[in-house]
Amino acid sequence: MSSSTAPLSPPLAARAGLWSRLAGSPTLQFIIRRLLAAIPVLFGVTFLSFVVMNSLPGDAAQELLGASATPSEIHQLEVKLGIDKPFLTRYWDWLHNAVVGHLGHSLSSGQSVGSILGSDLPVTFELVGFAFLISLALAVPIALLSARKPNGVADRLSMMFSMAGLSIAPYVLALVLIYVFAVKLNVLPALGWVPPGQSLSQNIRYLILPAVSIGLGLLCFYTRLLRADLLEQMQGEDYVVTARAKGVRPWRVLSRHALRNSLFGLITVVALNLGTLLGFTVVIEDIFGIPGIGHELLQAIDNRDIPVIEGIVFVFAVIVVLLNLVADVLYSVLDPRIRYGRPTE
Amino acid sequence: MSESLLDVSDLRVDFRHDRQVVRAVDGLTYSVRRGQTVAVIGESGSGKTVSSRAVMGLLPPTATVTGSIRFEDTEMVGLAEKAMRRHRGRGVAMVFQDPTRSLNPTMRVGAQIREAIQTHENTSRGGAQDRALELLELVRLPAARERLEQYPHQLSGGMRQRVMIAIALAASPKLLIADEATTALDVTTQAQIMELLRDLQQRLGMALIMISHDLGLAASFADEVVVMYAGRAVERAPTRKLFAHVRMPYTRALLDAIPRLENASHSQLAAIPGQPPNLALREPGCPFTPRCPNATDQCREHAPAFAEHEPDHEWACWHPCADEVPA
Amino acid sequence: MADLPSDLVAAGVAPAADEAAVARAGGWWQGRLGVAVPAAMVLFIFGLCFIWPIIGPVPPPTGGNILNSSLPAFSPGHFLGTDAVGNDEWSRLLYGGRASLEIALAVQAIGIVVGGLIGAIAAYLGGWRDATMMRVLDVFIAFPGLVLAVAIAQGLGPSELHTIWALSFFSVPASARISRAATLRVREETFMTAARLSGTSTPRMLFGHIAPNILPQLLTYALLGMGIIMILEGALSFVGLGVPPPAPSWGNMIAQGQSTLSATPRYVFLPSAALFITVVSFNLLGEGLRARWGSQ
Repeated sequence: MSSSTAPLSPPLAARAGLWSRLAGSPTLQFIIRRLLAAIPVLFGVTFLSFVVMNSLPGDAAQELLGASATPSEIHQLEVKLGIDKPFLTRYWDWLHNAVVGHLGHSLSSGQSVGSILGSDLPVTFELVGFAFLISLALAVPIALLSARKPNGVADRLSMMFSMAGLSIAPYVLALVLIYVFAVKLNVLPALGWVPPGQSLSQNIRYLILPAVSIGLGLLCFYTRLLRADLLEQMQGEDYVVTARAKGVRPWRVLSRHALRNSLFGLITVVALNLGTLLGFTVVIEDIFGIPGIGHELLQAIDNRDIPVIEGIVFVFAVIVVLLNLVADVLYSVLDPRIRYGRPTE
Repeated sequence: MSESLLDVSDLRVDFRHDRQVVRAVDGLTYSVRRGQTVAVIGESGSGKTVSSRAVMGLLPPTATVTGSIRFEDTEMVGLAEKAMRRHRGRGVAMVFQDPTRSLNPTMRVGAQIREAIQTHENTSRGGAQDRALELLELVRLPAARERLEQYPHQLSGGMRQRVMIAIALAASPKLLIADEATTALDVTTQAQIMELLRDLQQRLGMALIMISHDLGLAASFADEVVVMYAGRAVERAPTRKLFAHVRMPYTRALLDAIPRLENASHSQLAAIPGQPPNLALREPGCPFTPRCPNATDQCREHAPAFAEHEPDHEWACWHPCADEVPA
Repeated sequence: MADLPSDLVAAGVAPAADEAAVARAGGWWQGRLGVAVPAAMVLFIFGLCFIWPIIGPVPPPTGGNILNSSLPAFSPGHFLGTDAVGNDEWSRLLYGGRASLEIALAVQAIGIVVGGLIGAIAAYLGGWRDATMMRVLDVFIAFPGLVLAVAIAQGLGPSELHTIWALSFFSVPASARISRAATLRVREETFMTAARLSGTSTPRMLFGHIAPNILPQLLTYALLGMGIIMILEGALSFVGLGVPPPAPSWGNMIAQGQSTLSATPRYVFLPSAALFITVVSFNLLGEGLRARWGSQ
C-alpha cells in the first residue's frame, strides 16, 4: 500500500490532506459564492431603506424638539446630530462604519445602536425561536400520522384543522387568545415580558400566547408541506418499494426512510418563509407589548431615528440572507450525494 | 408437501384506473421448483413485472388479484398484510431494475443491509453488521468493509446492484426474483451479475425467477423459459427444448429479433412490427393476432388455450411454427 | 414505479406516478369540496360586500349618530349593534369587506401584471439580464416590507391607494418568482423552439405564446395569495397604514377594536370571523384549482 517513508509525519499529512480537501471542497466554494452574492443584496437593502427614510418629511431633530421648535433650533440640533450633511455622505459614513460593526448611536436616546440591538434581539429571537421550535416539533408527528393513512381519519382531521389554522391572521389569533385566556379565564397575562434571567417560569407564561399566535400558522404550513412530501416519497420512490420488499413495517418505512428525504424540502421552505415571519412578529410584539426588535422599529420610525432604523433593517436583512444561505448549505451538507462527492470506483 | 416451491395458477391482476379496468395479468400459470431458474420473458406491458409483484404482495391498492399463488403450501393471494410481511425478504426476495433509485440515497449501505437482516432476525446491531459484511463479501463487492459506511451514490451501478442482491439475500430467501436486474447495466457488468446470481443460487440452493425481455440472457442462464404476452403465458418449456423447437410465432419473432454476428453488417434488425395491445380493451381472440405472420380468422375469434401440446412444452397457438428444417 | 408498474405507465394506460401523487396529496376535502363550493362562497362574499349595499337596506357605514353609540347586537334597526360613534356594525362589516377585497384584488392584479411581466421577461431573456433582475428582486424580498409600509404611512399619509402600493411590494416579487419559474419550464417546450425558429418577434412570443401558458399558474397563485394579502392589510392597520378611519376595512376594524377587547369583543370578532371565512374560501378555491389543473 503506502510507502514506509512518508515525506510528512502521519498526523501532519492527515491534517494537510484535510485542509486541501476542505479548501477544494465543493461545499466551501458554494458557501463563499453565496456569501459574495449576498453582499450586493445587503448593499441594496440598506441603500433602499436609507432612501425611503430620507424621503419622509421631518427628521429626528424635529421629532425631538417637538412642534414648537424654531427652525434655527432645529438646525442647531441637526448639526449636532450630524444629520445636516448631504444624503449620500451620510449613507457612505454609515455604510463603512456598519461594515466594521459600528452601527452608530440612536438620535433620540444617544444609546449605541449596538446595545439597543443587543437588548432587543434576544427577546425577539426567543419569541420566534420558541414559536418555530414548537411548530416544527409538532408538525413532524402530525404529518407522519397523516401520511400513514392518506385520507384516513387522522389525515382528514389534520388537513381540515391546518387549513383553518392557515387562514387565521396571527393578530386575530392573538386577540382571540388574549380574550379567552387573559380576559375570560385569567390564567395567562395579556401584556408584558419577563426576561428568562429574572424568572424562567414567568418568562414562559408571558411567552406562551405570543408564541402560539405566531406558531400556529407555521405549524399548519409545515404540516401540510411535510405531509405532501411524505406522500410523494411513499408513492413515487423506488427505494420505498425496496424497503417494503424487505418486509419492513409501513410505519418504519415512513419514519425511517421517507422522513429523512422529506425533511430536506422542508428546510428550504422554512428559510424562505422567515421573511414574512419577521413582519408579523412586529405586529405581535406590538399587541403583546413585548420589548423586541419589532417594537423598537416602530418607535424608531416614529422618531425618525435613522441609525436605529438602519441598524435594525441591516440586521433583518443579514438574518434573512444568512438563513437562506444556511438552508442552502444544510441542504447540500445533509444530502450525502453532495457531501461525499462523486463515486469512487 | 408438493415438489414445487412456487405454484402460480390462473393468476389474474386487474387495475382500477379512472373507472376503467385494466387487466395486466390474464390467467398466468407456471411453477418453480427448488433450486430451479425460471426466466419470464416478455415486452413492456406483458405483465411480467406485475405478476412478480403479485408474488411479493407489492401491488398498489388499486390492484385486484385473483387466482392462486402457492408458495410452499401457503396461499399468497388474499394473505393478510402482516403474514405477507413475514414472507417478504425471508421466503421470497426481490432485486429491482434500477439500483440507483431503489436504494435510499440518504442511508448508508450498511444500514440498509442491516435493516434487511434485523427485520427478520433478532440480532444485535453488531451481529447484523458482521452479517452485512459477510453478505457483501458473498456478492463479491470489493473493499466491503469500507462500502458498509458509504452511501449508494458513491458506488458504481454494478456495485449498487450487488448491494441490492446482498439486501435480498439477507434473510436467506428460498426464492429470489430478479426483475430486469441487469437491464440497467452495461453488458460486461451484466454478465458478471448473472454469473454471480448463478453461483449464489447453486451455493445457497435458492430458486431464481429472472424477469427480462432478453431471450439471449434466458438462453444462457435459465432452466426453463416462460414467454408472456399481453398478460398471458404463451409458451413454456425447458430452455433447450424451447430454443430447439420454437412453437409460438411470438417467441419465434423474439428469437429472430436478436442481432447475430453471422448476419451481414448493416442488415436490418428483424423487429416485430406493430405495438403491444392496449390492455384496457380485451379482444376475444388471441392478442398477438395483429402482429402474427400465421394469423387467421380463427385466431381473431377464439383465443387458443395454454396447454401442453408436447411433453413438457406448453403453448397457446392455433398455428404454431414447425421445426426449422436445417438449410 | 412504486405506484403503478412502469410497463403499464409506458403503455399509456396508467397515469405517471407524480400525477397520481398530486391527486392524492390534494386530499379528501379537495375531492369533496372541489372548486365549486369555494367558488360559490367567494362569489357570495363578493355579492354581499359589493352588490347588497347598493340594492339592499343597508345604512351608510359612516356619519352615524353619536347618540346611538355602542348599541348591542339585535338592537332595533341595527342587528349587529353599532360602534363607538354610532355607525351600524353590519354596514361597517359589508363596506369594510368591500375595502379589504378591493385592495386585495388591486394588489394581486398589479402583482400578476407587473410581477408576471418581470418574471417572464427575465426568464425569457436569460443570462445576465435574468441574473440582475433576480438580484434586484432579492433585494425587495429581503427588505422588510413593514418598514416601507410604515414609512409610507408616515410620509404620504395612510390611504387605500397607499396601502395598495405598500402591499404590491409583496405581491410583485412573489408573482415574478412564480412567473419566472413557469416561463423557464414553458421555454423548453418544443412548440416554443418552433415558434422562435419561425421568426416570431419577442413581444409576440411573450404575449402570444408564453402568457397563455403561464397564466393558469399565475392565477391560481394569485388566488391563493388573496388570503395572505388580506391578512397583511390587517397587519398594516395595526402599524398605522391601511384604510384610514372612519372608513372601515376589516383590518382597521380589528385594529381599532383591540382597545375595547374586554368590553365589546364583537368589534374584533365580527370582522375577524368575516376575514377568516373569506380567507378560507380563497385558500380552498386556490387549492382546488391547483389540484384540478395539476402542479405543472
